[in-house]
Amino acid sequence: MRTASNSIRRARPLLGTFVEIAVADAALPAMHAAINAAFAVVRQVHELMSFHEEGSDVSRVNREAWARPVRVHAWTFQVLQTAIELHQRSAGAFDIAVAPVLQAMGLLPLALGDQLPSSDVRASSEAIALLPGRRVRFRHPDTRIDLGGVAKGFAVDRAVDALREHGIAAALVNAGGDLATFGPRAHAIHIRDPRAPDCLLCRLNVISGALASSAGGFDPFVSSHPKGPAIIDPRRRKPPRAILAATVRAPSCILADALTKVVMVAGRSAAPILEHYRAGALVLLADGRVQMTCDFESATCLAA
Amino acid sequence: MLKQIELTGADVTKWMNWTSPAVLALSVTSAAHAVQYLSLEQAQKHAFPAATGFAVVQADRIWRAEAGGRLLGFFIFDRVIGKHLYIDYSIALDPAGRIRQVDILAYRESYGGEIRSPTWLAQFVGKSSTSPLQVGNDIRNISGATLSSHHVTEGVKRIMTIANRLK
Repeated sequence: MRTASNSIRRARPLLGTFVEIAVADAALPAMHAAINAAFAVVRQVHELMSFHEEGSDVSRVNREAWARPVRVHAWTFQVLQTAIELHQRSAGAFDIAVAPVLQAMGLLPLALGDQLPSSDVRASSEAIALLPGRRVRFRHPDTRIDLGGVAKGFAVDRAVDALREHGIAAALVNAGGDLATFGPRAHAIHIRDPRAPDCLLCRLNVISGALASSAGGFDPFVSSHPKGPAIIDPRRRKPPRAILAATVRAPSCILADALTKVVMVAGRSAAPILEHYRAGALVLLADGRVQMTCDFESATCLAA
Repeated sequence: MLKQIELTGADVTKWMNWTSPAVLALSVTSAAHAVQYLSLEQAQKHAFPAATGFAVVQADRIWRAEAGGRLLGFFIFDRVIGKHLYIDYSIALDPAGRIRQVDILAYRESYGGEIRSPTWLAQFVGKSSTSPLQVGNDIRNISGATLSSHHVTEGVKRIMTIANRLK
């Protein structure tokens, strides 16, 4: 969004990255009030879903959900429901219970008193039971969850809700590359080239909806290890090799965020799940080719 | 076997090659990215809307936000190196020295190698938060491998070690 006289743009460090919110077509005080409210919900999502913050829902669940059911915030429960559905529909390519594998690889820290899980730990979302009353129970003592693959996208969706509730008609929310936009304008979105992060791979025009990108590189909200890969194939327990980067367009940012991981891991066979969620993808293959689903071009309009 | 053929058929129709990298490479070579989000004064006003004045504690760096002589909190300006270039940010503290909010005031990034050009770098020298950057109107929305806000987080921690001496 161009910073015209009737638009503003602000940024805060949240979710381990820079969250940027641009709004337009409203009075200046109303735009600032809406942005403040949107940042507040992003911060709330961060506090609920951070793996690193001791008081987060995620940390409480990881500490206690094997011993007893743990009641969580409605937003955390909603993210868990979406994550488990994605796990089932992706045949395990997306898995929030991959945390022990990431811990064993040194990509996530161990909680105080936690043992490094044995190598045969069942790292699978099937080990998570969602009970009535927004309660979570683990079926296996070594289960640990990490919402790093969906929380950023979910936070963007909640920020969009907050802006709409404040009467904003046009906005763009970008949480370190996971973004959503609404309103009459088309937004030019530049995709970073993972082979040379100082360069841009291409430009997309997005009118409304969500877009997220993942690459083999470091993701600060997922990994505390700056050299570590952001994405691990939960079934092979290794970083994906065939695909260097994936960008997904979807109706919501939580889906776009999660589906980038599915595409990174499952590759071309992710087509049916993309179709199910009315999503499209653009991928950079290890051999340098760029491929996309047929609907991606018409929905986003690649621009030279 | 039949099932596999069907899947392959669906696969072929779902994915297509995209071939115009040469055109795109041209379009992204000159790509300075600099965003001025808030001026120093705007950031002060947003952090402390009720303030009637900002008294200098340390020039260009620390201010006391006051309303009719009453202390509302502190406003601190700082700057850290991001990937290559400076990120300007502010921290608003309540009277007890606790963080109320951190705002990014200006963010700068470079694409396509102009970071190596002294003339390109020179435009940033001497720029403070009170002299907004104007690098064309090149405000970009970027998606891709996520940038870490680690440097800002470290900067905030460093500032908080000296913030204890305020009050």
